[in-house]
Amino acid sequence: MSTQKPPVRRGSVAVKRGEPIEYKSLEILVKCITPQGQIVSRKRTGFSAQRQRELKKAIKQARHLALLPFVV
Amino acid sequence: MTHLFEGMFLIDNDRVRASWADAKAAVVTLVEKHGGTVHTARRWDERALAYPVSGKRRATFLLAYYEVPNAGLANLTRDIELSEAVMRHLQLSVAEVPAAERELAATEQAPDFVLPPPPSDDVGLYRPLQNLPEGEEDDTFDEPDDDMDMDRPRGRRRDDDYLDLDDRPSGPRSRVESR
Repeated sequence: MSTQKPPVRRGSVAVKRGEPIEYKSLEILVKCITPQGQIVSRKRTGFSAQRQRELKKAIKQARHLALLPFVV
Repeated sequence: MTHLFEGMFLIDNDRVRASWADAKAAVVTLVEKHGGTVHTARRWDERALAYPVSGKRRATFLLAYYEVPNAGLANLTRDIELSEAVMRHLQLSVAEVPAAERELAATEQAPDFVLPPPPSDDVGLYRPLQNLPEGEEDDTFDEPDDDMDMDRPRGRRRDDDYLDLDDRPSGPRSRVESR
């Protein structure tokens, strides 16, 4: 039985290591929402589970402040 | 015991047009009234909003870092919610004031600082990224989203469905094929 390497995860969003994902970092957040305003899945962002949770929180805070739409 | 907070406040542009110093002082006074200390407070941005808030389509954002004792926090939050100057707010507990934030706040305190006046009308096309340098435009919502392609036949995606094969997800299916 051959040992298979795990598939390389390739994401579409690049965030520097250690750089926080905040509600103010709109350049990152806009890459992580669909044209309808939905949050993009981990499969597409390529984020770790922890990063994806940060992203979720940041997008919801940005929506509260009307920086991002709830729905387009 | 006190905690450090980061607060983002949406200020009505009518108040900003009247006097930015007064609009900022309205927030600072509230914090100090409840025993807090304001470390920095500055205009973060003036933007078109994603949806109307209190009937306004544009607002000025005030970003402040302040310390508040635990006893005064609930009362401060209630007073902010009742304040007519603040349309909406977000308070987050933070560990420290960012170093860059002190410099940016000091810029606003400089005598030669001139606040960019808000537009005279309350309209503006919303884009997530605003106030970009000239020549750059935000095209976030202009890109087609293939997830929402209603013409695509239902069922599992095949490789032919991907215009760019690099977009093809790697996962259990591709592992099975490579065996």
